[in-house]
Amino acid sequence: MPHREVLAEPGTRVVMLGNVAIARGALEAGVAYASGYPGTPSSEILEALGEASKKLGGPHVEWSINEKVALESAYGASLSGVPAMATMKHVGLNVAADPLFSLAYTGTPSAIVVVSADDPGMWSSQNEQDNRWYGVHAYIPVVEPSGVQSAREAVIEAFNISRRHGHPVILRTTTRTSHTRGVVEVGEINVEAVRSKGRFKRNIDRYTLVPSHARKLRIELLDRWERIEEDLSRSNLNSIEGDGETLILGVGLGYRYAKEAASLLGVEARIAKLQTPVPLPRTFLHKALEGVNKVLVLEEGDPVVEQMLKAFLHDEGIRVEVHGREDGYIRRWGELGLDNVVEALSRVTGVEASLPKPVRVEASLPPRPPALCPGCPYRGVYPGLRRAVRSSRAEVVYSGDIGCYSLGVLPPFRVQDTIVEMGGSIGLANGMARVAEGQVPVAIIGDSTFFHSGVTGLINAVHNRNPMLVIILDNRTTAMTGHQPHPGVPVDAKGGEAPQVDIEALVRAIGVEHVETVDAFTIRGVEKAVRRAMDYVKREGKPAVLIARGSCILVALSQARKLGIKHPVYRVNPDKCMACTVCYTAFNCPAIFSLEDGKAKINPVLCTGCGVCVEVCPFNAFEPVEEPSEEWILLMRTATPG
Amino acid sequence: MARNIVVAGVGGQGIITTARILAEAALIEGRNVLVAETHGLSQRGGSVVVHVRVGDVEAPLIPPGMGDLLIGLEAIEATRYASLLAPRASVVMNEDIQPPALPRVKTPSLSEILGALKTAGLRVHSINAVEEAVKLGDARSANTLLLGYATGLGLLDGVAGQESLEEAVARVIRRSRVAVEAYRRGLQLASGH
Repeated sequence: MPHREVLAEPGTRVVMLGNVAIARGALEAGVAYASGYPGTPSSEILEALGEASKKLGGPHVEWSINEKVALESAYGASLSGVPAMATMKHVGLNVAADPLFSLAYTGTPSAIVVVSADDPGMWSSQNEQDNRWYGVHAYIPVVEPSGVQSAREAVIEAFNISRRHGHPVILRTTTRTSHTRGVVEVGEINVEAVRSKGRFKRNIDRYTLVPSHARKLRIELLDRWERIEEDLSRSNLNSIEGDGETLILGVGLGYRYAKEAASLLGVEARIAKLQTPVPLPRTFLHKALEGVNKVLVLEEGDPVVEQMLKAFLHDEGIRVEVHGREDGYIRRWGELGLDNVVEALSRVTGVEASLPKPVRVEASLPPRPPALCPGCPYRGVYPGLRRAVRSSRAEVVYSGDIGCYSLGVLPPFRVQDTIVEMGGSIGLANGMARVAEGQVPVAIIGDSTFFHSGVTGLINAVHNRNPMLVIILDNRTTAMTGHQPHPGVPVDAKGGEAPQVDIEALVRAIGVEHVETVDAFTIRGVEKAVRRAMDYVKREGKPAVLIARGSCILVALSQARKLGIKHPVYRVNPDKCMACTVCYTAFNCPAIFSLEDGKAKINPVLCTGCGVCVEVCPFNAFEPVEEPSEEWILLMRTATPG
Repeated sequence: MARNIVVAGVGGQGIITTARILAEAALIEGRNVLVAETHGLSQRGGSVVVHVRVGDVEAPLIPPGMGDLLIGLEAIEATRYASLLAPRASVVMNEDIQPPALPRVKTPSLSEILGALKTAGLRVHSINAVEEAVKLGDARSANTLLLGYATGLGLLDGVAGQESLEEAVARVIRRSRVAVEAYRRGLQLASGH
């Protein structure tokens, strides 16, 4: 997505996605270097910066191989004297935690903001960790915008705080800030700054964290932490409004819920907007708590502020009731919602809540989990894999990973026995290979995830001679997060040309002896290749790699539209269809559905023309409405983003 | 006054685009707007809901019971998110039913769905938007057709008028000729209602 609104004229009010507002704020703050790894809900920040950079000639923007490298790259840029930013989703910061902790010790001669996009509610994630803890843990202040409405200002202030203290700042956003569109008034982009370069100035005592240096820096860090806390007590990101015996402490997006719930209930309350939760600004809290006897803390995620507030109250000898997530006034899991907040505020204030009762619709609806798209190259790989495993009589464990192919966990495929974290498929297979008796681990991993952290596990497997079959599903993009490039495709973050790293050559160079690349759009081809690889693993007791290649159909379709190539559509010949159900059950293409009599029919609106159904049908009932063109057949196999 | 509009459908149907058009149109008329979207994993052919809030609002999500209009691009998903609506709220719905991509699940029929929504006291306005959009040359324009239909029924008052909505369609959709035609076709269908 281009996100052109990131370059809106200064002074105008535009509808912007929270992530685009974050990108705009960074441009106004003069960010000169930005890196990141895609991950929902963070990806659009760097996409928008890439779009801006094409027009402005800065900042330098790149998609990194993983979050650790992204943060290190931004770290290096910042040490070289320019304001830098690294973006990632919450679990990505786990990958980048090592440089994060060092960053607090060395500080920076310029500025650096680390964006963590947390996902309470787990809309697109494996956990709902609250990364404000990283701020507490690593001594890094956290700025948390109160929704899309304040995302732009919050980023600008985050850079200011970083610059003032020569210290990193974490910008914590959440799904409902990042992926909410709202009206944003934009300011002037600092064009000169975003194009600027710097110089690395040697400072060995500060930038080399050998123990003798680190010990001194630790003392300095604690001292700096005090000054940052005092500074944040004066920050214009925090404010107090209204009056009453109850204080609603609205942390980040919690402030918006505080405002709307108080107005819905019609209660008199003091509302404090806290956009700098870590470290807790004590002087500000003293002011907010004056004359108050009850506090309701509203925050997305864990009770981070709530716990620190209780410690603060204890230290200061202040006795007020504190309610929030810890006592269940706000439920402990998931996102904040107005219904829950109104109910909690009603309990705290004793004011009766009268929210309307939602309608009840009596209908039994089938679930609709996400599914592999019609034409997804992985749809043919899974049946091929399962047939090969059946015929090889091997007992296997499907060690899965994070990406579109995770959807193979659902029926009818069921080919993901574990999904834990990025790169975990090969990582876990190393242990399974040595202990799970009589079972062969089959690691299933995508191209971008393989580069991210799969390749290290594979090197480990080669060196330790751990027998496993690794299937790299290469759809030529980072698909799930919106089709970003990765090192295996010839495109960079700005859509320009880039050198590509050849997965097959890389795997061979590591020392894998059995490597094969197969067309993902042929079930039989995949089946035979899996058989050969399985036989090798069992015979030799070493890892084998199969690369199943086929472009993400959404990328192929969008390229086809641009190039004026028509994709074919298939149909069912009702005279040949025997209602065997295979195409809409075992193959399960969303474009194929069943008629009353069990015969298949293709929805021409959904069909993307991959043609794999032709191979699936035992009765040759599928046929193209028009013969597919050579160009389309090639594009399905080669399209890359950009 | 605030308007709380639920847009629901199957990932890939242009649900976010529909919501973006509403947001742009509201801004053209100087109104405040918030659109809470669904991205990433849930978007791949899954059930998708987007919350559009216009006017004096602060928080991104519509609380259950406060939705005043639902625009449904697919009938099953429209029904799923009807629980966000207030009693007697309106539903503008495409009559299309997409069976979920799960083997052997029972899909309700359109008449079952319409019956359930009406029994719940909702005011249901349904049309076969995909069929109409295909006639105009692009099935993907079913979404702007529904927006035109909703405008014609007076259900977007307090969000934006026809002129602003047409301008918003042109702003949000790159090659917007068919989309604008579909919007107008929707308006026309509503006037014959």
